[in-house]
Amino acid sequence: MSASSDTHAQTTVTLPANLHARPAGRIAQAAARFTSTIRIEHAGRAINPTGVLSVMSLGATAGSTVTISAEGPDADTAVSSLADILATAE
Amino acid sequence: MNGPVGIVLVSHSAGLAAGLRELLAQIGSAAVPVVAAGGSADGGIGTSYDLVAEAIDKADQGAGVAVLPDLGSSVLTTRTVLEDHPRADVAIIDAPFVEGAVAAAVTAAAGGDLHAVISAAEEARDVRKF
Repeated sequence: MSASSDTHAQTTVTLPANLHARPAGRIAQAAARFTSTIRIEHAGRAINPTGVLSVMSLGATAGSTVTISAEGPDADTAVSSLADILATAE
Repeated sequence: MNGPVGIVLVSHSAGLAAGLRELLAQIGSAAVPVVAAGGSADGGIGTSYDLVAEAIDKADQGAGVAVLPDLGSSVLTTRTVLEDHPRADVAIIDAPFVEGAVAAAVTAAAGGDLHAVISAAEEARDVRKF
């Protein structure tokens, strides 16, 4: 058994809507609740989603794919929570 | 227990400050006390010492207040208020008005303390819009 509780988790989401200010605000607030280090990648750029301005700067539009990854004790929950927000954004 | 960090928006224009406040509410600051202090005392373009001082009192829920000025005399008026009423938990922030306010509001809504809110707003200077 591993001595470390840290895990790595990753998933991809095809955006149903543009990643504009409102969902970016929800993403940043949700990301701040986790201790894991989280990244969102889009079109070759990766950002830390705790920064709402960074999330908006991705310029991710409806139909494009983003990859969410996390490393840390709550990586699984972090990735699934952020994926839920992105997958249901309007 | 303290509430969220408060945010005061100081602008030459009442409409600009009020509009930014509306935008912040959409981005998730509904639980954050955001108070607009825009325009002069008679409703024109300018800044008001009294409006800024009142706004700081209103925004204060015990966790401190971050004051964002738009430019110029907004900075000077805010500084004068803070010099007359010095408090360790009220800070004027040097950041882009819109981006800094958005970053500050989201950080305050996520439970960040005054230091975290100030850092988030100041970082807005280094984040490109696109």
